[in-house]
Amino acid sequence: MKIRIDKARCVGNARCAAISETLFPLDDEGYIAVSEVDVPPGQEQLARRGARACPERIIVVEDDSQ
Amino acid sequence: MSETLSPAVARPDHITDAVFYDFDMFADPAYLANPHARILDMHKSAPPIFWTPRNGGHWMFVSHAANFEASRDVEKFSSEIVPQSKIKEMMSKLPPGAPHIPQPLPINIDPPEHTAYRAPLQRAFSPKAINELKGSIRELAISLIEEMKAKGTADFVADVAEPLPVQVFLKMFGLPLERQAAYRALVKEHMENIRNHDTAAIVRRMLKLTAIMKDTILDRKANPKDDLISMLWQTRIGDRETTINDMENYCVVLFTAGLDTVVNGISLGAHHLATNPELQQQLRADPSQIPAATEEMLRRYTFTVPLRVVSKDIEFQGVNLKAGERIMLFLPGADLDAKEYPNPEVYNHKRENSVHIAFGAGPHRCLGSHLARVELQVVYEELLARLPQFSLDTSKPVSFHGGHVVGPDHVWLNW
Ligand code: SF4
Repeated sequence: MKIRIDKARCVGNARCAAISETLFPLDDEGYIAVSEVDVPPGQEQLARRGARACPERIIVVEDDSQ
Repeated sequence: MSETLSPAVARPDHITDAVFYDFDMFADPAYLANPHARILDMHKSAPPIFWTPRNGGHWMFVSHAANFEASRDVEKFSSEIVPQSKIKEMMSKLPPGAPHIPQPLPINIDPPEHTAYRAPLQRAFSPKAINELKGSIRELAISLIEEMKAKGTADFVADVAEPLPVQVFLKMFGLPLERQAAYRALVKEHMENIRNHDTAAIVRRMLKLTAIMKDTILDRKANPKDDLISMLWQTRIGDRETTINDMENYCVVLFTAGLDTVVNGISLGAHHLATNPELQQQLRADPSQIPAATEEMLRRYTFTVPLRVVSKDIEFQGVNLKAGERIMLFLPGADLDAKEYPNPEVYNHKRENSVHIAFGAGPHRCLGSHLARVELQVVYEELLARLPQFSLDTSKPVSFHGGHVVGPDHVWLNW
């Protein structure tokens, strides 16, 4: 599973990081630090929750199992 | 609080019946009796985007869809209520030696300049920086709550909600605590006059504020300490150094944006807890649910109404808007929209979609949201841990104020 983030539109809500700081690392100013994440097996649920938590709706989960 | 309705202005030609609705956001009686109940009713009786003739005539965006799209579209919806070009022109005409007139940047400025002014603050208010303050915020909350507890009955707004953010502000800025009384007086004056858009009066209050802060600001330039003022001196705005004028702007924005918002947010939450004893029991038994409860209270009782100006004539979600018209981003409406949150009136911190826009959306999203969240959570935690079951004192009915920050004037509690 992969996550893609439209990094340019991140406004630093850090709601994703509140779900998982390791899946959604932030930079020093509180913006998302990455634009793509490979989700380790077993963390799919967490990744989905993190994506849903983003108020800007810029985190997209690409589910390759389907 | 009862208020007189502002006179209705004439309806412009492009305002059709379908988008007309008479609502005074400062004085609507049903709104002041119970703001969020009135909003739920508006979702049934008012158009999702409407124009009201009150307070000079302006648009209200009520639906989630309208608020979300407009907040993120800074080209169509400008935050420069007075255009920066005009402000610069006015400033250039002031006689030499006239005091600098502080303005709340970056709230009232559009990108790209917005980005340069916001960046230094972004770091200071990042989750990491705010987490380091959590311990001292908790200490402040505990001492205020313990002092209130000893009284047996108290107005939560005056005893906890108002002093807490002022004290946090003084601490972050490294301002002497002895000045607390002066700041609280100024906050009070500011809040009481919020409806009054008299520019000269606003400028006078801002000058008063910068006057009390000036010696500390200048001192930190020469003798940096571990506080926000010292840190801001050391950052750059775009590619230039920070000046005393920038520092004054920053102080003004944090003062006006960060105080009454938190006051009203915590007061609405305390009011909800006081009227829901089962929720108190549930959270006391399992405090790990408090962060989720904090979010749901923010959604259920969203309280800020930011202002925008239409940049050019446009059609937006089927409605014709004209350049220069004012828009109220009615975020409390957005977060009670049934299209987004099924059964919006029900408080449920385990709801499926709990992602609200109480802090706005887009580039102007509230910079202080991490600080506000910590303040709210800590107060709820300590209130529930320290007070026995509490309820509203029914002999002193709650009254509310409307406007740009909605909330109760007093919340008298018994325990
Ligand atoms: S929740 Fe969304 S907007 Fe917020 S930091 Fe994460 S990606 Fe950025």
